[in-house]
Amino acid sequence: MSAASVDAIRNCLEGAIPSTLATCSPDGVPNVTYVSQVEYVDHQHVALSFQFFSKTRENILLHPFATAYVTDGVTGASYRLSLQFLHTQTEGWLFERMKAKLAGIASHSGLAGVFRLLGSDVYRVLAIERVPGGSLPAPAPRRNLLSALRAASEALCAIGELSSLLDQTLQSLDAQFGIAHSMLLMFDAAQQRLYTVATHGYAESGVGFEIGLGEGVIGVAAQHRVPIRIAHMTNEYSYARAVRDQAIDAGFSTDAEVPFVGLAQAHSQMAVPILAADALVGVLYVESPEQQRFSYDDEDALVTLARQVGLAIRGLQCVETAVAEDAPRTQPVALQTQGVAAVRHFAENDSVFIDNDYIIKGVAGAILWRLLGQHAENGRTEFSNRELRLDAALRLPDIDDNLEARLILLSRRLDERCDFLAIEKTGRGRFRLKVGRRLELLASVPR
Amino acid sequence: MSPDAPPEPLSEALSAFIQSGLSITVASRDGGMQTSLARCFGCRVSADRRRVTLVVQHAQAAAVLADVRTSGHVAAVFSKPSTNQTVQLKGQDAVVEPQRPFDQVCAGQHVEALLADLHSLHEYGEPLLRAVFQWDPADLCSISFTPSAGFIQTPGPSAGNRLP
Repeated sequence: MSAASVDAIRNCLEGAIPSTLATCSPDGVPNVTYVSQVEYVDHQHVALSFQFFSKTRENILLHPFATAYVTDGVTGASYRLSLQFLHTQTEGWLFERMKAKLAGIASHSGLAGVFRLLGSDVYRVLAIERVPGGSLPAPAPRRNLLSALRAASEALCAIGELSSLLDQTLQSLDAQFGIAHSMLLMFDAAQQRLYTVATHGYAESGVGFEIGLGEGVIGVAAQHRVPIRIAHMTNEYSYARAVRDQAIDAGFSTDAEVPFVGLAQAHSQMAVPILAADALVGVLYVESPEQQRFSYDDEDALVTLARQVGLAIRGLQCVETAVAEDAPRTQPVALQTQGVAAVRHFAENDSVFIDNDYIIKGVAGAILWRLLGQHAENGRTEFSNRELRLDAALRLPDIDDNLEARLILLSRRLDERCDFLAIEKTGRGRFRLKVGRRLELLASVPR
Repeated sequence: MSPDAPPEPLSEALSAFIQSGLSITVASRDGGMQTSLARCFGCRVSADRRRVTLVVQHAQAAAVLADVRTSGHVAAVFSKPSTNQTVQLKGQDAVVEPQRPFDQVCAGQHVEALLADLHSLHEYGEPLLRAVFQWDPADLCSISFTPSAGFIQTPGPSAGNRLP
């Protein structure tokens, strides 16, 4: 038996090959059972899924020692873990993480609805013993994740502007980590929702897609500030379903929604919260059509990168607020100038439709409506972030208003959906509204 | 199977099931109630269906063999990977038996049947499965016991119930 370091055997805890657990009653009757999940907690602790009131449960409450048998799904090497039961968690990050993972495992093994997590049983690992027997050599990793992280990190350091930072983050995931499908969502604290500001690897951009806290992999990661990683496809955490349910709950039609552009068959998913200190800034989401594409090591790398992204976003927002600079930031856009367009605003959710085509809603919708109103009234085209912050009609939150991110979202949606309206950055904290066609503004009375 | 009455023989169906090339893990415990675990490489049931013999490898199962000699207690879980059908059998009179001539045949048939079932899941490559279920013909021995209790462990509402 060696001194326990769970780090060295993390691949055994991916669940590719089922684990078994032996416990013993106080009167000496052993019990052995399969365990759906042995989850890595830290280098000295693991957590086992508690799904049923079972003999195992009864035994560990009376005699808190157990032995687990785990096998590496890549090399086939097996280990015996001597465990001491400490306590059960029924809420919080570990529980949510295991619950999400269990949904993936259950749906993969045709047991969706049968598995329900009642608790996460936390055990101290007293010893780890390699079981003598055959194993395959560990394959060379597809990337050196430390090198990938370093390159991605350096690419971010060079950026002084939020829009490029968001895009560069996702480009680095592809270039350095080989992760081809990714999204970055920002957190709206007032609405308790997340909205997509950048995507990479999809046919449609999907910018503007929104999800509530706690909904699907992304919403759960945001709500509990914990990375959620699922190795197998699960309907329980799928966005097609989450979005539909949410629309039905809210009594809205799905017309004023940007659809989710993610993979229809995402067999691996990972959502990593983007934090600045302890505050939630957003979520980095990656997915793959491959099963078990993302490992514990990938998760560590992305969590570390997301930490840096969080601090960089927060840093750029502070600079944006404090400094004014003159250099124009974006190339002028050529706009359509023929004809008249009808712009309709619905006050109940600040959604804006142009010629019946949904553009945007929420705070960004309110901003667009405000800008167009000012333009219609007195022909204004030059605006500053500061005046939007001071504009009582927009009701931006006092702190963490994410105004920059909302303007990026608005600018990207206009870019995708409308060829006669654009927002052009003219310097730090300043931008220009460009209007090609004549607009007819129609305010709708709340339903 | 009732815990108090003398053990009944296994049903024909259960006997056939546990000999069909399943994933099998056996556990025992020492005098201090510490548990031990080992993977099994074969299972056979006596003609009267009262005795179950599990084939293990010495090197892998050293702790289990020592614990069986000390306590006589065993618990074994049998699971068919393709269907999740799972049962657990327990016994209190387990003994360690030296290698018998048919242990090698038993292990060979067991591993081939189990690999065939695992292949039907299309999840594991042949080299991985061969590594996990690699066995040394010279290293086999067995644990035999009279099943005194049996439990359904297929995930679902009946999990934990005694076998009918």
